[in-house]
Amino acid sequence: MSTQTSTDAGTAAPKVVLQIDNLESYYGPIMAIRGVSLKVHEGQIVTVLGANGAGKTTLLKTVSGVMDPEKGTVNMMGADIQTMEADAIVRRGIVHVPEGREIFPLMTVAENIAMGAFTRNDKGAIAADEEMVYSYFPILKERRSQRAGTLSGGQQQMLAIGRGLMAQPKLMLLDEPSLGLSPLLTQEIFEIIVRLNKEQKVTMMLVEQNAKVALDAADYGYVMELGRIVMNDRAEVLAASKDIQEFYLGVSQDENQRGQRRWKQRKTWR
Amino acid sequence: MADTLPPQQTVNGLTINADLSQGPFYIDGQDTTPKLFRLRCQTLGDRTAMREKTFGIWRSFSWNDYFTHAKHLGLGLVSMGLERGEVVSILSEDRKEWMYTDMGVQCVGGICSGVYTTDSAAQLQYLVNDSQSRFLIVENDEQLDKFLQVRDEMPGLVKVIVLDRDGLHGFSDPQIMFIEDLYEKGRAYDAEHPGAFDAAIDATQPEDTAILVYTSGTTGKPKGAMTSHGNLMYSIAAGLRDSPVYPTDDQLCFLPLCHILERVFSVNAPIAAGSTINFAESPETIFDNLQEVSPQTFVAVPRLWEKIYSQVAIRIGDATATQKWAYGQALKAGMARAECEAEGRPVPLSTQLAYRFWDMALLHNLRRMIGMDRLRRGGSGAAPISPDLLRWYHAIGVPVLEGYGMTESSGVISINNADDNKIGTVGPALPGAQIRIADDGEVQYKAGNVFQGYWNNPEKTAETFTEDGWLRTGDVGTIDNEGFLKITGRLKDIIITAGGKNVTPAEIENKLKFSPYISDVVVIGDKRKFLTCLVMIDQENVEKFAQDRRVPFSNYASLCAAKEVQDLIRETIEEVNKDFARVEQIKDFRLIDVLLTADDDELTPTMKLKRSFVETKHAALINQMY
Repeated sequence: MSTQTSTDAGTAAPKVVLQIDNLESYYGPIMAIRGVSLKVHEGQIVTVLGANGAGKTTLLKTVSGVMDPEKGTVNMMGADIQTMEADAIVRRGIVHVPEGREIFPLMTVAENIAMGAFTRNDKGAIAADEEMVYSYFPILKERRSQRAGTLSGGQQQMLAIGRGLMAQPKLMLLDEPSLGLSPLLTQEIFEIIVRLNKEQKVTMMLVEQNAKVALDAADYGYVMELGRIVMNDRAEVLAASKDIQEFYLGVSQDENQRGQRRWKQRKTWR
Repeated sequence: MADTLPPQQTVNGLTINADLSQGPFYIDGQDTTPKLFRLRCQTLGDRTAMREKTFGIWRSFSWNDYFTHAKHLGLGLVSMGLERGEVVSILSEDRKEWMYTDMGVQCVGGICSGVYTTDSAAQLQYLVNDSQSRFLIVENDEQLDKFLQVRDEMPGLVKVIVLDRDGLHGFSDPQIMFIEDLYEKGRAYDAEHPGAFDAAIDATQPEDTAILVYTSGTTGKPKGAMTSHGNLMYSIAAGLRDSPVYPTDDQLCFLPLCHILERVFSVNAPIAAGSTINFAESPETIFDNLQEVSPQTFVAVPRLWEKIYSQVAIRIGDATATQKWAYGQALKAGMARAECEAEGRPVPLSTQLAYRFWDMALLHNLRRMIGMDRLRRGGSGAAPISPDLLRWYHAIGVPVLEGYGMTESSGVISINNADDNKIGTVGPALPGAQIRIADDGEVQYKAGNVFQGYWNNPEKTAETFTEDGWLRTGDVGTIDNEGFLKITGRLKDIIITAGGKNVTPAEIENKLKFSPYISDVVVIGDKRKFLTCLVMIDQENVEKFAQDRRVPFSNYASLCAAKEVQDLIRETIEEVNKDFARVEQIKDFRLIDVLLTADDDELTPTMKLKRSFVETKHAALINQMY
């Protein structure tokens, strides 16, 4: 039962870190996720694209245990984790970097980073990891005794990612890292995300509205609409798809006679 | 004029011909739609004729609004040179201006022809040229772009009128104008020529062509069916006699108005009955709009009735054990009552009491949930509907009645009505109409609503009629001893296998379609060794199936590819195979794994698969099976 038909073919597929099957999640009576199945392979960056209300954040929350699904399974390296509490899931190696960073604003940068290692007690390794985080985000080192709430948006995002790294994640869930950031900062953050993936071997599941940067960074992508996956493929295939170009990348397909176009093509997801 | 009227009868508030086998047909003393339209607007005045939802609020438009806009639109076109008997084409989604155009054009003696919004620029070009339209009305920038793409190939077109200015501010082109400017022209013309509009209405005759309805044309180019005022007056008079619509009724309009079914039911019927039309916002919001409007009378295609049922079934599937039990009991009581009524037996007191109890406790809420708590009569047409589905609706207290018709019969040939309903048939012929079955089984028809012929196409017209002047429907069917018509298939779709066996694919297809998991299916096998089929699954129900059985899938294609889904369809087919002889059994199948939309060639505007298109487009898939 492969859901990633186009990557699995041929090459020996890397280990599956996360496998979600038939997931359904509700907010009260409202069904936010209507049967989602997907896979994240070790070492990959997988992105989930979608507009507001597509169910992307709900999906991440369900994976990290903040929400419980109504139906379906979340399997991490062979173990079902959908009924586990969020703290147990962190201990298993899934770290959620939430939308809007949600750092601790009254604590200093250093304290925030230390909080990321809350579940660990290997002092020596923690110190080494702190240095690793600072090497990726030198600005945080400069400001380590500053209160986190006084950082700029981009720095806060860096801090949130750095804090997440401190838990030594096997899988990092990133919820809209580009939210509220300038294009330049967005690019910078994504460069670091790719480096972390390559150098620290952190598998990433990345939810984004900014399809361009997400597809550039990712290996594989899923497109969600109204709680369903409508399309999935390798990132470069998605980037070339007509629907993605029109609806997520803002590329106008063909110039019309008037030289401008306001209306949208109907989506087909083929 | 009154003294020349044929004998009249008054039924359900409408005065119509006592003998509906002979034209001209009168409704309240009027023999054409424009004349009746004028009468209704005069008497109903400020009452609501239609509602449209803008920015989330239902806004009402009165019969006076309807009349004034139709008048200015019609006269505006006249001022620019529209002649009587000329065609005006409109390319727009359903909205009030569609009806303004329809009536405005007809009142000044023109012929109104609708173009589907899903049609391509090339199709638009063909329809405009074939109908010799000099005026084209387009909804918005999207539709205007179609015109702009092919404008050089439509030399006969004089003017294009755009309804919606969004995205076109600052756009100007000598051949294009906006609707407000057209109204303005009409207003000026009216001031200069007082009485011109009334005179134009008076000049309309029953034998004048009123509308041109292009048939989808699965083979060859679309053909424009000419439908006269008299045809439409008959369809309405005969249709409303036994299936009344009242001035207090609300209706919901959601199928394309280019389609004859929606046209007759949503334009002509309200004009006769004085009922109110509510436009659904979009195809995606029909279910919400149904709840909001809660129509008293509602006509839809089987697909929609199936969807509503599926939604209820899915909700029940997720209900608690107690709720499921109650639903089962309520349905049992409803079925018992419906059965007695269907057989014409008196309903025993115990059944009545049980039904009353469950109606109060559960069924009433269920009806409210699906927006049918006020529904007096639902209609289903344009495709065959499952008898079991109809029984379910009757059980929950929603009488859905199947009817039958075609473009060439101005929408209707037969309808089941509340007092005289036989599930599994499409009802008796309209009052005054005649149906006969030819030697080859073809249903042939003669009545006041048989169309005038195809526009500029005498050969095709001749093919459509028998030598003695009956309409050849192209459908195969039977009539039972009580006069109820049953349709079994299409004549030209009959498959002759390589073994020389004649098979009516529709019979097998309909049985398969009654499965909740199969949305549509095309049986293949002409000149082949055995029968196979291509299946379009019902996304919602199959997804639900996969979810309940924890079959992982990501997108539509992977859903179709899932082994469990393939097995599900195979089992459904094997089950249906049992009802057929060996040569008529389906040996193999493939699923169409792309989610088709109305934009695709393979689908009709009412979301049916088109056999010939499917066969050519999915030839590779078919060849895999042989």
